Amino acid sequence: MFPEILAAVREVQLPLLAALLLMGAVGKAAPRSEGTGVAVLVPQRWRRPVTLLTCLVEVVLAVALLTLTGPLGEAARVLTVLLFAVSVGVLLVVRRRDPEAGCGCFGGLSREPIGWRTLTRASLLAVAAVATIGLTPSGWEVAATPTLLHGAVLGVELLLLAVLSPELREALTRTLGREPCALREDSPRRSLRRLRRSDVWRTNTKVMLSTEPEDTWRHGCWRFLRYDGMRHGRRVDVVYAVRVGGPRRTRVRAALVERESGAVIATFGAVTTLDLQGPPRRLPRPRQAAKRDEAEGRGGTGPVTPAKESSGAAGRGQPGDPEAERIQV
Amino acid sequence: MSVIMDRDRERRRFTSALLGSEAAPEPTPVHHRVVRGVVVDATSYMLCLATPNGEERFLFEGSTTFWRGGEVRPAELRPGDDAVVLCSHDGRLIADRVWAQAARATGVIVDREDDTLTIDPGHGRPRLTVVLPYRTSGRISVRHPRLEPGYLFDAVGVWHGGAVWAARPTTTQPPYPLDSTPRRPLTRDHSTTVEGIATWYDPAWGRSAHLDPRAHAHGAAYPSLDRDDDEGRCDRRTPCLPLPLLSTGATLRMRNDCTRDTAVVPVLDCAAADSWFCDLCPSCGTHAAGRIASLTMISFVALGGRLEAGCFNATMTVAKQEG
Repeated sequence: MFPEILAAVREVQLPLLAALLLMGAVGKAAPRSEGTGVAVLVPQRWRRPVTLLTCLVEVVLAVALLTLTGPLGEAARVLTVLLFAVSVGVLLVVRRRDPEAGCGCFGGLSREPIGWRTLTRASLLAVAAVATIGLTPSGWEVAATPTLLHGAVLGVELLLLAVLSPELREALTRTLGREPCALREDSPRRSLRRLRRSDVWRTNTKVMLSTEPEDTWRHGCWRFLRYDGMRHGRRVDVVYAVRVGGPRRTRVRAALVERESGAVIATFGAVTTLDLQGPPRRLPRPRQAAKRDEAEGRGGTGPVTPAKESSGAAGRGQPGDPEAERIQV
Repeated sequence: MSVIMDRDRERRRFTSALLGSEAAPEPTPVHHRVVRGVVVDATSYMLCLATPNGEERFLFEGSTTFWRGGEVRPAELRPGDDAVVLCSHDGRLIADRVWAQAARATGVIVDREDDTLTIDPGHGRPRLTVVLPYRTSGRISVRHPRLEPGYLFDAVGVWHGGAVWAARPTTTQPPYPLDSTPRRPLTRDHSTTVEGIATWYDPAWGRSAHLDPRAHAHGAAYPSLDRDDDEGRCDRRTPCLPLPLLSTGATLRMRNDCTRDTAVVPVLDCAAADSWFCDLCPSCGTHAAGRIASLTMISFVALGGRLEAGCFNATMTVAKQEG
């Protein structure tokens, strides 16, 4: 049993080392990854080239570990051992030169000062690379024919690496952490999608002259979009405010503003803070309302214009409703 | 300019309509004590300035100070100089402080040739040529030890032949180049009041101060401008202070923590270079690192700032925007 476990441990290192090298290369290729690791030891103008060179070496070794066998494969494995062994030495020198510098192992993610965890991880990876020397299969063959034992060994090793990786916390914070809505970047396209799905948008489509905003701007948690509109033959501005985050039902507000006078003629989507003009009226029951409409000859067989349709209680807040002008939905 | 101003005014009006008038207060007009113009004549007792209102005359008192790269005598002001005058409290007759040819170079160094630097102020603004004269180079290099491409630079000086002759540094240079600036850690809490430092910039680049409306603009460039505003030209980074994202036309309530002067200033522009710095201001008041806004020259002076100092500690309030 023990020789089988040992063989599985050795085999798993090939794809694992290749994956780690590729991840490191991607991290280093990302912008703002200079000023960490080996780049600290070279002059400013050489930092980016040195980082990119390290990145290239890692990609070549990762591909070689995955694909090559025989003498070329052995050479790649020996070079991987050398890479990690040299890394330990470089990290020690960097730590002495600049105690605040990060290891740069995964580019901008590795900004935490070099500590015992980073050094232990680099040493362990060097040992792991030593274990791969003399193996017959290539990394890809191991990855293509996984066994339960391989999975168990990989799980244990990933757990160990997670404990030794200060980058994990940074990566989790970046992906899961959310800043307050006033600080959060949000694309206008996303706000537009959110707006077009809202009731407030559907309510005002009849008033708007175009579906593309004339002006958009941001104010803290809110993105504003202004559209040209026409209401009862007069030009109006239809202004929407879409909240970045927050409860779905209160995400969108709108106001109809008369262009000539600048008066706000209707607002939608927010509870009013203004006093109502008259006492709130109780709405009639649907059956009573139907009877009343019938008596008044508004039975509704002919075409219904938006203004007529909204004259009942159900149409409150419609942009064409004269009664609803001062009532906010 | 006026089209932009109209658009900004409209934005404020619409923001108020939806979020309440507190969200976008009207800007306060610039105090009449601050005047900017071009020197027509300067004698030992009087300064004649060409301003948009015509020629204006200002008398001097014994306590009146004059700055032109350093303390100077009134006779050293030359006709044609761009001048900013802060009048005494009594009115617009007696000059309290006079700054002539004041210039500022804030940005990243892109080139160096002996004692001449080329500075990129960001946001697509034209690059500046900065000359480090021998008499001030020592003082500059104490606070800017790395005058190499890639490192930040911020100094005030005087305009001379289209270049800025640096007179004094206004910040301590970060020890790393701009590309290695650390990211701001994730912020969980956000307050409507932010403490930091306010700086100044000259939207008219020291030219035609009596004609160019930009020279008299009241407002501020903001380092956390929405990326999609301003046709996406704002090449700012995430500033180190947790500043709310705003667009041009929004208003900031600014307070000088030193003099306790307050004003509501409109956001006019992108302050790309201010988003790159995370520095302190060695003046009185609270000390918080990071730049809140870059005020225009006259707004800065109206809020009690001294152009030669380059900054003051300030508190900014953006009203709660829930309506």
